[in-house]
Amino acid sequence: MTDIIQILILGLALGGVIALMGSGLALVFGVMRIVNLAHPSLIIAGAYIAYWGAKLTGIDPIVMLPVAAAIMAGIGVLMYRLVFEREARNAKYSEMTVLLTFALAMIVEGVLGGLFTNTQRVTSPGYATDAFFLGDLFIPKGQLYAGLISLVIIGALSLFLKYSRLGYAIRATTQNREAAELLGVNVNLISVLAFAIGIGLAGAAGSLVSFVFSFFPAKHWEWIAMLMSVVVLGGMGSILGTVVAALLLSVIAAFVGTWVGATWSTMTFFLALFVILLIRPQGLFGEKPEMA
Amino acid sequence: MTLARILAATTALALAATAAHAEPIRIGASLPITGGLSVSGEKHRRGYELCTKLINAVGGILGRQVELIVSDNRSDPATAINQYERFINVDKVDAVYGTFSSRLTFPVAAILSKYNMVHAIPSGAALRIYEQGYTNLFYFQVSAAEYIGKDVVAVIRDLIPAGEGPKTVAIVSADDFFANALAAGLLGEKIKDPATDREITDLAPGYLADAGIKVVMQEKWPEEGFNDWLNLANSIKRSGAEMIIGLTASEEEAVQLTRSLKTVGATPKLVYLSQGAQNEFIEGVGKDAADDVMIHTNWHKDAPFESTLVGKPFNNADFVKAFEIEYGVEPDEDSAIPFAVCQGIEQAITGVGTTDNAKMGEWLHARTMDDPVRTILGRFAWDERGLAKGKSHIMTQWQDGTLKFVYPTGEFEGVAPFSYPKAGF
Repeated sequence: MTDIIQILILGLALGGVIALMGSGLALVFGVMRIVNLAHPSLIIAGAYIAYWGAKLTGIDPIVMLPVAAAIMAGIGVLMYRLVFEREARNAKYSEMTVLLTFALAMIVEGVLGGLFTNTQRVTSPGYATDAFFLGDLFIPKGQLYAGLISLVIIGALSLFLKYSRLGYAIRATTQNREAAELLGVNVNLISVLAFAIGIGLAGAAGSLVSFVFSFFPAKHWEWIAMLMSVVVLGGMGSILGTVVAALLLSVIAAFVGTWVGATWSTMTFFLALFVILLIRPQGLFGEKPEMA
Repeated sequence: MTLARILAATTALALAATAAHAEPIRIGASLPITGGLSVSGEKHRRGYELCTKLINAVGGILGRQVELIVSDNRSDPATAINQYERFINVDKVDAVYGTFSSRLTFPVAAILSKYNMVHAIPSGAALRIYEQGYTNLFYFQVSAAEYIGKDVVAVIRDLIPAGEGPKTVAIVSADDFFANALAAGLLGEKIKDPATDREITDLAPGYLADAGIKVVMQEKWPEEGFNDWLNLANSIKRSGAEMIIGLTASEEEAVQLTRSLKTVGATPKLVYLSQGAQNEFIEGVGKDAADDVMIHTNWHKDAPFESTLVGKPFNNADFVKAFEIEYGVEPDEDSAIPFAVCQGIEQAITGVGTTDNAKMGEWLHARTMDDPVRTILGRFAWDERGLAKGKSHIMTQWQDGTLKFVYPTGEFEGVAPFSYPKAGF
């Protein structure tokens, strides 16, 4: 029984971090139909901001979180204006963004490599390799803090989307871009804002990831498939769905890793993607697409 | 001025002009500068570039400057193959330097053999690379990965008092060319040629069984995308093993594994990792967790290896100094090994007076321990497969934040006492 609880704890703690990593991706797809393959590379950019903040000034990576989020949100605004805005009305927008963001991911990786070298980095606040021990059980502090902060950020984002005026506008744009525009929503401004929030979330996730995983510019290729699995399972664009999917898959992966073998734990995400596309393509919380 | 003097002066001028305008010696290297192997790939580039720069600073090889062409293969085997094809057929290089990792070296070896190019390998430890019947391979490390376990067990046998050594071991490894090869030797598995299924060698019973150490846990993680380190570390701890062997494919994995073992509070008596001698390891895991962790290496900054560069003495200490001046950081093994590869190619070209690869290969094969290739990794002479003869690893151990070498004892100065057992992470 202790074993089961321990695996559950480790799965949930990891799931919380993956949820934050995936939530920006879900938001950006939900509002703008941008399949942002560059998202994990931007998480790594956020991790570098936290790393250098910690290295140069001794600031804790958790304290660096708002700074990383703000810087990345600013970069998000620039990116949207330069890359995505002009194609926003293109009928093949979503398909185009796959290629655009793939290129963007390679560019971000190259820039990060140029700026910070390809050396692997990790931040090491004391809690990153410490744990609370409760009898035979332990809760890793680093993942616990990262997971809890992730859930708080996602909770705040959900409240913002649900109750604020801007949140209404973002959700309206998500549901029907044309109708929102007809009702007076400045969809272009809303798109910039939502994109900036999405990339800001990548920055926030980056500062937490910086002490959970080690990272280097090319690391993002290992994350994109895992994050896409989480977002698709959650229902392409649903933030709540992404959180549930991240927690669920991480817990399943932890059990698979322990009972079947570590080689198979990574497979869990892809197997889930495969199964979900077969039996419920709209994901856990997505709406069923209308038949033409 | 007499006619003879005028003629002599003109001839001298003409010769000088020829030397100055002699075609450079072009050498190609495809490296994983980006992608999963980028950490080591970038360091390999530094090793090659520094060596080239130092050679050119003293007039080049055979009076010709060396032009180094490095291409980024993005850690992708197909790209690495294409780039070597391109070096040979389009860039018309005179020689090549090998790439990093067994994964990339294995397919590249077939291409370089096809063109009869001398294949000086900085990193490609899997035995099966050397069992394909190629005659152009020269490995610039101590031994194939399958045989590394011998030196690990030697430390336990020779440096730990009888009866106090670890009796049980948890062995965890990346599902990777290099790590699998190392595990095969420790566990005594059969090595097969992947293409023909032919048995190359049977390593039974394995070095661990030889030493009377019982394997109580064995686990592999996938080559890429593995995140569940804490869960793995927890399983290791629960196995109660007295020794932990972590066969990682990269030093990044060594950092993740060690941090996780610290987090779960594992308390083994001895830890051996296949990576972790690099500077990033100590930065990533911290002094306490790294203390007493044992790692095999081919090189150590304090090892008094004597070597030459373009015919002049150039020792390991000279390399460390030159590297620090050039890059502002201390070198580690990942830059030292490619530097040695560059020394080997330079000595072969100088030795035969031409860039004819067939002759260079013959010259390298003719080396003996008395008349070896002299590098900053020590002396090299190879068997017919391309594996170094008569060398053993330097076993190192992190002690108080510094990487000390603890084995072999008595071979050179500066060996630190072995620290055992490990006092937690």
